[in-house]
Amino acid sequence: MTQTRPAAAGEARPAARPPRQRGSGLSERALARVFVAPSLALMALVALFPVLYAIVLSLFEYTRRQREGFAGLGNYTEALGDDRFWSALWFTLVFTVTSVAAEFLIGLGFALLMNQTFRGRGLTRAAILIPWVIPTVIAAQMWFFMFNVTPGFINTLFGLGDFNWLGQPGWATFAIVFADVWKTAPFVALLLLAGLQTIPAEMTESAMVDGAGRWQRLWYITLPLLRPAILVALLFRTVDALRVYDLVAVMTGGAFDTESLSVLVQQYVVRTPDPGFGSALSTLTFILILGIGLLFVRALGRDIAIGRGEEAR
Amino acid sequence: MRKPTRWLMAGGAFALIMAACTPGGDDDGGDGDGGTGGGGELVWAIGGAEAQPGGVHQQVAELWNEENPDNPVRIELLPEAADQQREQQALELQSEGSTFDVLGMDVIWTGEYAENGWLESLEDVRGEIEDASIPGAFESATWGGELWAAPYNTNAGLLYYRTDLVDTPPTTWDQLCQTATTAGAGAGIGGLIGQGAQYEGFVVNWLEYYWSAGGELFNEDQSEVLFDTDIAAQATQFMADAISGGCYAPGYNTAQEEEARNEFQQGNTVFMRNWPYVYSLIEEDTASPANGNFAIAPLPTFEGDGTISALGGFNNAVSAFSDNIDAAKDFVVWAATNEEAQTMLATEGSVPPTMASVYDQLADDPVMSLLGQILPDAKPRPPAPSWNEISVEMQRALFPAVNGQGDVQEAVEQVRTVLEDAIG
Repeated sequence: MTQTRPAAAGEARPAARPPRQRGSGLSERALARVFVAPSLALMALVALFPVLYAIVLSLFEYTRRQREGFAGLGNYTEALGDDRFWSALWFTLVFTVTSVAAEFLIGLGFALLMNQTFRGRGLTRAAILIPWVIPTVIAAQMWFFMFNVTPGFINTLFGLGDFNWLGQPGWATFAIVFADVWKTAPFVALLLLAGLQTIPAEMTESAMVDGAGRWQRLWYITLPLLRPAILVALLFRTVDALRVYDLVAVMTGGAFDTESLSVLVQQYVVRTPDPGFGSALSTLTFILILGIGLLFVRALGRDIAIGRGEEAR
Repeated sequence: MRKPTRWLMAGGAFALIMAACTPGGDDDGGDGDGGTGGGGELVWAIGGAEAQPGGVHQQVAELWNEENPDNPVRIELLPEAADQQREQQALELQSEGSTFDVLGMDVIWTGEYAENGWLESLEDVRGEIEDASIPGAFESATWGGELWAAPYNTNAGLLYYRTDLVDTPPTTWDQLCQTATTAGAGAGIGGLIGQGAQYEGFVVNWLEYYWSAGGELFNEDQSEVLFDTDIAAQATQFMADAISGGCYAPGYNTAQEEEARNEFQQGNTVFMRNWPYVYSLIEEDTASPANGNFAIAPLPTFEGDGTISALGGFNNAVSAFSDNIDAAKDFVVWAATNEEAQTMLATEGSVPPTMASVYDQLADDPVMSLLGQILPDAKPRPPAPSWNEISVEMQRALFPAVNGQGDVQEAVEQVRTVLEDAIG
């Protein structure tokens, strides 16, 4: 060990020089790989190992915490044959689609607003971001108090008496989506604002000269140029929404058809431990999120490629 | 010259880390010889508010330490929520770690821990503990006919009612609902609040209706299912009618202990089903409309005879992987049978003790004297290894039925299947 280090360093020096000498050891590219290897190994250990380990666990049969033997894909067929999985999947998808759509529309509105020059713009930007700064569990507890019959702030505010938001199907889902939109629309706004600021003012100005109206400018100039930022915002929000746990756990505990996939996974990992079944569920969740994430990344990659092509022209 | 020493040091540190991570004790773990009988600190893994510095569990530990300086007890504070406490203990015990000597165990974990081989049997000290303890609490510490833990503190549901709105507390559930609806309507407030959200507390509340109608879940040693679907349907239907008919206060189906307390304390309900801890909180809150206008009574039944309440509380068990099993055993027996320690629970912490004889001395305390009446008839939830699974499935079957989203008959059939699968 003590000998290899100086040797490697000795080899590295000539390789770093622009005119490469033949037979002097590692090429620049190979050397880069050597340097990157430790951090890649660390990342693999931290990120990849748990994923692979969960997949291994999911192939075993457990009774509570005790391993009973190899189960093959038994845990997966059990999960896919369980109504509970499908209703959790359904809620998760409904939650994702509605919350991300609402967050996008509201976030876009905020971003367009913040992109204008007006007095108190800095203050507005800061104010809009406050919900995003609050930890999700705390926001969830807060909205639980707001919606719940006790203390019932929303009912008092709107004079709704004892309307039981969290105690009936439908409205319980609405309350959770509402809390999520409140919390993360500012995040979408921030990402879109960053995108908006890269759009040169000349573009909209020349469109104005050409006689384009407000909506035409938004539709034909701003939105197409904002596409990469929109995709990034949607990617982040979709992946995040698919994993929703805290809001559901705090606000309803999964009652009234609001059980999300993550809540279900948590049950089988912590409350009624069955590492095999729990891992199978979390692997299915992982595959779902990975699949949807990859779709976005592909769309994004194409977008960036188009962008580069235009730049080259 | 330097390098080898450095390598040696690194190697030494690594070996130390490995040693620290490797569970102590022998491989077969949990043989009776683990205890050396010598001195050494005992670690008591227990959670909740009373385990925090200044809490009554600390005071009990200090009392023990005065008498037993050779084996002082130190509390390892676990999280507040029961699920998390269980997870912390399970992580340690699953790896056969010897860090915890005494385990503060919720009454429903006994079977799970015992079947996993995590506990040292207390059969050799059974007589002492059985003589001192309330029967229900003792039952919750047994599994498969064997004693696995020593009862420590208990808990039972009480009926809180507004004395300015109700003359005499109801003895049947139907009476309660009548009074709740009429008195509630008269005062413009809700009827009964309890723990109706979908969680463990819902099962506890449901069981109090089911048991009070004469139902049972299992036979004594949990080898046979005695679940009666007719009685279960009666209990479930009663709750469903109470929600739709306005006997339960609005928000019943989203309330846990604290939401229920808030409603009653703010004067929003006539009745409340809750644990004893609420009493002193309302007594101290002079701004509460219920302050000075409330009293406690045993929970009603369907027929009006006697009362039944679900037991809560904690038992102390000895870890099978402890390095100091004998001393740990002495401690759990002492905590269950020492009059001073058990009295301290009630006087210093408002935590109901499990020792039957101390209730005679606590007759002046309204909560403890009522508990003294209720506890002999209180029932523990079956401490089966699969209780958590059973409870989750019962919630999934019964909660929608109670809330008018599912068929009552189907729900109780489903519970029967769950119970049969659990012991099958």
